[in-house]
Amino acid sequence: MICATFIGDLQAALPAGLLLLGVGGTLAVALLFAHQTLRVEQDPRVEAIYQVLPHLDCGACGYAGCSSYAKAVLADPTLIGRCSPGGPAVAQRLAAILSVESAGSSHPIRAVVHCNAHTMDKTYYGNYEGIASCIAGNTLTSAQACRFGCLGMGDCVRACRFDAIHMVDGLATVDYQRCTGCGACAKVCPRGIIEMVTFQQSMMMVVACNSKEDGRTTRAMCKAGCIGCGLCAKQSDIFVVSDNLSKIDYSHYRHDEGTDQAMAKCPTKVIIWRGC
Amino acid sequence: MDRLGTLVMGFLSVVVVNNFVFTKFLGICPYLGVSGRLDTALGMGLAVTFVTTISGIMTWSLDAYLLTPLGLQVTRYICYIIVIAAAVQLVEMYVRRFFPALYELFGIFLPLISTNCVILGLCLWLDVWETDNLLEAAVLSFGTGLGFALAICIMAGIRQQLLLADVPRSLRGAPITLITAGLLALAFMGFGGMIR
Repeated sequence: MICATFIGDLQAALPAGLLLLGVGGTLAVALLFAHQTLRVEQDPRVEAIYQVLPHLDCGACGYAGCSSYAKAVLADPTLIGRCSPGGPAVAQRLAAILSVESAGSSHPIRAVVHCNAHTMDKTYYGNYEGIASCIAGNTLTSAQACRFGCLGMGDCVRACRFDAIHMVDGLATVDYQRCTGCGACAKVCPRGIIEMVTFQQSMMMVVACNSKEDGRTTRAMCKAGCIGCGLCAKQSDIFVVSDNLSKIDYSHYRHDEGTDQAMAKCPTKVIIWRGC
Repeated sequence: MDRLGTLVMGFLSVVVVNNFVFTKFLGICPYLGVSGRLDTALGMGLAVTFVTTISGIMTWSLDAYLLTPLGLQVTRYICYIIVIAAAVQLVEMYVRRFFPALYELFGIFLPLISTNCVILGLCLWLDVWETDNLLEAAVLSFGTGLGFALAICIMAGIRQQLLLADVPRSLRGAPITLITAGLLALAFMGFGGMIR
């Protein structure tokens, strides 16, 4: 009796079951077909970055999910370290993927601070007691005599997600053991002192000054400034002097006798080694 | 002319007066979850509009040409879910292949919203409203999506301004968001009963 009702119910449900089977089957076939024909080739680096990420889609990075963050971070490496669940480990691995890729060779890109003036080298017109931020300090002439040098209030330190830049006696100093070359510090510096340089060697020669004042003014304000004398340019052609400031053309960078001579002859010893 | 009038009124009705988010409280999860930034909110809103239009048309056709003639309206829920999920997948693949820029805009939202309750809600509501032709179904579906986009964009705009406001400590984060959502819904209640 029960069995008969059960079979009756089953028969009543048969059309619905068949219909669902039909609809589901049709759509499944359509999807399979679409998957075969509409496949898209993706940049393999996006996939590589995505594999490193924790796949939580938590949105802590400010993007909708790990895959969109992977794309964003590939386009803009300063976003490295936004992944809080992954922490420094993921950030380091992302940096490994990206810095090799972005340099286009095995040479890493590292931040270089174009200033070498510690607190005792600088001149101040007054005491700055405003907001402790370079962006605020940069708007006031009284914060520091030199309009070009490091203000030492640490915007770059706060921007760094790798703990790789620190204030040492009022000067931003890069820890090259930790720097990943993401460029976050260079973007945040209101005076544009930090340059991203491709490190062809582990130690690179750097003109550690950004002052475009004439030599006399620079010398009056700072003990460690470039006075634009041009002695270095006479020794080696990698140095280019313009606007009272010597610069190294890193596209022709090399280390030879001429550059050593230039370093030795620099009167204010502003050409120094950076790196580790 | 009369038919055009019905369409326009129906459209306005689902966008403003009978907005799914504000009056039926459907689609609250993305409405609160993705409304942190205006650009992502816009992406979400556009993606939902896109999917509601397509799935509204598809499910209405399925209902009208297959389920009702066969007398199988009981299977609506399951059929609609299957159709919506598959449609979203298909659309995602298609858009990704042929409109990469659009795909970038929608991003991850496209697969996520296959389970958005606005969409299933709309498909079922099309029957409740006794929509009797495809054009009407399409217009109402599009309007619903647009209404959702409107709601989420307003919310995102308010939340961006809220970031600058001095919110009491105990209300920061989720509480103030929920209060905002409530006030916004209250404001939209003002339209209540104007059409249909």
